[in-house]
Amino acid sequence: MAVLVGGLMGTGLRLLADILIPHGNTDFPFSTLMVNVLGAFLLGLLVARFWSAAEPWMKAGLGTGLLGSFTTFSAVMVSVISLSANSRWLLAVAYLVLSLVLGFAAAAIGLRVGRVSTAIDWVDE
Amino acid sequence: MSTVLVVVTLAVGGVAAVARYLVSLAMVRVSTAESFPWAVLIVNVVGSALGGVVLGLAQNSGMSEEVQLIVLTGVCGGLTTFSTFSVETIQLLTHGRWRAASLSVGANLVVGLGACAAGYALFAG
Repeated sequence: MAVLVGGLMGTGLRLLADILIPHGNTDFPFSTLMVNVLGAFLLGLLVARFWSAAEPWMKAGLGTGLLGSFTTFSAVMVSVISLSANSRWLLAVAYLVLSLVLGFAAAAIGLRVGRVSTAIDWVDE
Repeated sequence: MSTVLVVVTLAVGGVAAVARYLVSLAMVRVSTAESFPWAVLIVNVVGSALGGVVLGLAQNSGMSEEVQLIVLTGVCGGLTTFSTFSVETIQLLTHGRWRAASLSVGANLVVGLGACAAGYALFAG
């Protein structure tokens, strides 16, 4: 149930980003890039900061449901294929590389920030 | 964009997230902890293949924009995930599991792109 509700909300937020920053089949998909980078950062932060103490339904709802559905891998693949099919090769490669580099960096920063803030709490106590 | 269309897309996204959750539960049972992230690979490849099919059908037969939105944003977007993919990759790296991390990223990209391209090529006519 938590996954269903989280997935519904994550899909809604992603749809909202697509509506606010629309892109055609031959444009650079800024909305998807933004959603994926933001989602990777937030999931890293949650995992490192709250997961050890979180209830299983919270992990499923927020992690798997909300952030898992907010971000998308298929849209990246579809855009890369669509840009390539329209001979926009450079844009396709740039989009794929940017998605990976920024997504992984965001996840790493999220995990790091989560760990550091947890450590600070320990010192305070 | 009608309210009904948005509601259907979000509901479908929620159900797709549940499907992704079930795949992750099934994969936990068959694999040992901290092993190769099979669940994300499976959902990402299936979602990317379906995304390619929709891209091809849309170009070929003029699939309605409503159905495209429901399948691409709802089904494919809800089923696949970029945040879990990124965070799991960074976690493998921080545990010194370079081989598993690079295999996972490589497999998601090669098989995901391949499946999307195949779906597109088969149905683009």
